[in-house]
Amino acid sequence: MKPPSVLAGEEIRIDKRLPPPSERRTAHKWLKEDALQRYRDENGKGFELYISKIAEEKIRNHATSCVDHKREVMGLMLGGVYTHDEMTYSLVRDVVTTDLEASSVHVKFQREAFEKLFASLDEVGFKYVIVGWYHSHPGHKCFMSSTDIDTQKNLFNQPYHNALVVDPVNREIEVYFMKDGVIRTRDFAIYWDDFENPYHGTTIRKRVVRSDPDRMASPH
Amino acid sequence: MPLRVKVRNAESGATVDMELEGENTVEEIIEGAAGYWEKDAGAYVLRRGKKLLRGQQTVADCGLVNQDELELIPDPEGG
Repeated sequence: MKPPSVLAGEEIRIDKRLPPPSERRTAHKWLKEDALQRYRDENGKGFELYISKIAEEKIRNHATSCVDHKREVMGLMLGGVYTHDEMTYSLVRDVVTTDLEASSVHVKFQREAFEKLFASLDEVGFKYVIVGWYHSHPGHKCFMSSTDIDTQKNLFNQPYHNALVVDPVNREIEVYFMKDGVIRTRDFAIYWDDFENPYHGTTIRKRVVRSDPDRMASPH
Repeated sequence: MPLRVKVRNAESGATVDMELEGENTVEEIIEGAAGYWEKDAGAYVLRRGKKLLRGQQTVADCGLVNQDELELIPDPEGG
């Protein structure tokens, strides 16, 4: 029997695209003072990572929802990789997760919950690239443990891949990436833009109630 | 009769065309694709639509057909 063979491959295509403008981006409210200072310094030049408000809220809510049980949470960050002015950057438009096998120091997707994850991937409504992963360290501060580093090395080892770590107890957040085999921190911005909203056009609109001239004229 | 499928790497958007035999296992498909992208095969799962393809299942067991599109999904672990 012949093993599977690769006939041809098509590599990642990085499109040119303007990053979110400075008036539509902000620093994450859980950044520590040194990271906040770096954000201010970098804001004029642009960032290598932009996270949508929607994705950021989902990550924070997910992490916060498991604080009482002190359980870690985890998910995948979906978006795209783009280039502008010779700078490559990742845009996180949304996140997905599924049922987890988790403790206060470990987290993994439940094997039997992958199909739920796939259903969420199909529902995002845009052609995604998994540009990284997020997980929480409830009460343990933000850092990359040896397990996290292995995950980054084995799965997310491209410069545009990100590992977001959030501590919902101490209200801290940090993003890491790998370059030349070394884990480094990455400055990032939160952005909001109606056209980047993965659910753009599906928002429930408030009904405009028109005044009825006949009714207005009739006395009570 | 061999069949041809496309495997997408969800972490980059890159794709590969692969030729498979009915007796090839899912594990072998993952190894082939992950090897091409120099990834650790053990850290990935393969999906066809919403279905998770199990490692020991064969191409025939999974009912894969010519021109099927599969996706390699990372299975991270945090600590």
